[in-house]
Amino acid sequence: MSAVQEALPAIRGSRDATVRRFAFTDAIFHGLTRAAAILVLVLLSGVAISLIVGAWPALSTFGFSFITTESWNPVTEKFGALAPIYGTIITSAIAILIAVPLGIGIAIFLTELCPRPLRRPIGMAVELLAGIPSIIYGIWGLFVLAPFLQTTVQPFIISVFHGIPGLNSLFAGPPYGIGLLTSAMILAIMILPFITSITKDVFDTVPSVLKESAYGIGCTTWEVTRRVVIPYTRIGIMGGVMLALGRALGETMAVTFVIGNAHRISTSLFAPATTISATIANEFTEAVGDLYTSSLVALGLILFIITFLILAIARYMLMRIDARTGA
Amino acid sequence: MKPMLSTELNTPEVVVEKAKIEVRNLNFYYGQSKALKDINLSLPERSVTAFIGPSGCGKSTLLRVLNRIYELYPKQSAEGQVLLDGKNILDRSQDLNLLRTKIGMVFQKPTPFPMSIYENIAFGVRLYEKISKSEMDGRVEQALKRAALWTEVKDKLNASGLSLSGGQQQRLCIARTVAVKPEVILLDEPASALDPLSTAKIEELIDELQADYTIVIVTHNMQQAARVSKQTAFMYLGELVEFDRTEKIFTSPREKRTQDYITGRFG
Repeated sequence: MSAVQEALPAIRGSRDATVRRFAFTDAIFHGLTRAAAILVLVLLSGVAISLIVGAWPALSTFGFSFITTESWNPVTEKFGALAPIYGTIITSAIAILIAVPLGIGIAIFLTELCPRPLRRPIGMAVELLAGIPSIIYGIWGLFVLAPFLQTTVQPFIISVFHGIPGLNSLFAGPPYGIGLLTSAMILAIMILPFITSITKDVFDTVPSVLKESAYGIGCTTWEVTRRVVIPYTRIGIMGGVMLALGRALGETMAVTFVIGNAHRISTSLFAPATTISATIANEFTEAVGDLYTSSLVALGLILFIITFLILAIARYMLMRIDARTGA
Repeated sequence: MKPMLSTELNTPEVVVEKAKIEVRNLNFYYGQSKALKDINLSLPERSVTAFIGPSGCGKSTLLRVLNRIYELYPKQSAEGQVLLDGKNILDRSQDLNLLRTKIGMVFQKPTPFPMSIYENIAFGVRLYEKISKSEMDGRVEQALKRAALWTEVKDKLNASGLSLSGGQQQRLCIARTVAVKPEVILLDEPASALDPLSTAKIEELIDELQADYTIVIVTHNMQQAARVSKQTAFMYLGELVEFDRTEKIFTSPREKRTQDYITGRFG
């Protein structure tokens, strides 16, 4: 027997010990990471459960009419969530309408047209918009944007659309400055960086050879973007828009400043209104009765469900584009 | 390096009855690095010319100069002249979109647009021509027939171009290129991502297309160059080493480097 063969059992023995040790540390590592992952699920369901428990008194008292009635009366303790739901959805929808074309436009400029030295500064400026705390958007909206809208833009629009059926009720006075449209404009500025950076990222996933072949048959930059780049990235853009929408729906501080906090549903976009998050932020400290508090929690539950659904849709769409480009 | 006058390179035995494209003293730069060195060559009309050479020799670069697609990237630049029917296309005044309708290009990887098979072809045509639906149907059918794809896709013209197999996608790209009625077709390793059967189909297609088009093909596959082309240019390290009839290049090349390459001694 050679020396190596004699030493074999000893080598095997120590190797077995090492393998056992590895298996042990591996199991610990596995357990720790799994616990961390499970913690997230526990937190999420904890929040959901406490929202449901907290909202139960209000939901059982008012039933389905909680989300179909407009009146919000702390004195008589009659609460209906329709006005804040309406305000939340309308402000977010208008914000999306403003921010999507703008954001996609910026992304197209940055990826297809922008001279290289300008690319980083502009891209960074857009991303910095996302870093501004929402309270700053709030005070800026209240002290700068709202007075400006009140004295110049709103009177002008009201006079222009005066007498045009439909539009005259959409843009009806008096010009308060604060209201649905002002909130929507602030929200649009706040979600612009999300839409821009996600759109820019998905535009970068378009294979350059695909763009080259479109240019190769004589397309202009506009035609390449419109017919090739945007269709190719449609799902990713939708995902980005959904993420931005989720952000807009939940935004509290800036909106609370400029929405006007009125539990009313008005056809005019200039009218003060309220959103779910603004209502909660404004009224939590003064909610005295149990039913009042419970109604506010129920509002939170509704917002939770809406944003959860929106984000789930967004994730799903982004997953689909990942699967396609990863192949 | 033995002395070699560039004029000597430019007197090949290729009988150029009518040059469709003439490249004169062409230099090309990626930033600071020179990728093409003083290229001179004439591509005869309605005939297939192959560019061969090891990776990085500049053959794809030369191809990309011919339709100025390189201009999409800011650091790339060309100097010299490329004459298409006697007119310099490197001239600033040359309209790029118009140029690219005249000089079609097919890439290494199939690149169907994210739209239906029908639209993949109609899209390019519609850019420059206003024609009726029935005329367009005819154009699409004709282009697909030209690319030997019609029988395979005629029942699913509304399906996505991406749903086809790799070989079918590549023929769709050729159909798309043919449909805009170019004068020159540039093929950048069109079969390198395809199986042998699809490759054979593409080669057959190239053979048919040369009756109507001036074709330039870049290929790594020397048998392919020998099979499809009438004249071959061998490039090495950014230089045009030898340009001659394909037969001559593959049987009795003048240059040692050409011989070494085609016999597989390097590259």
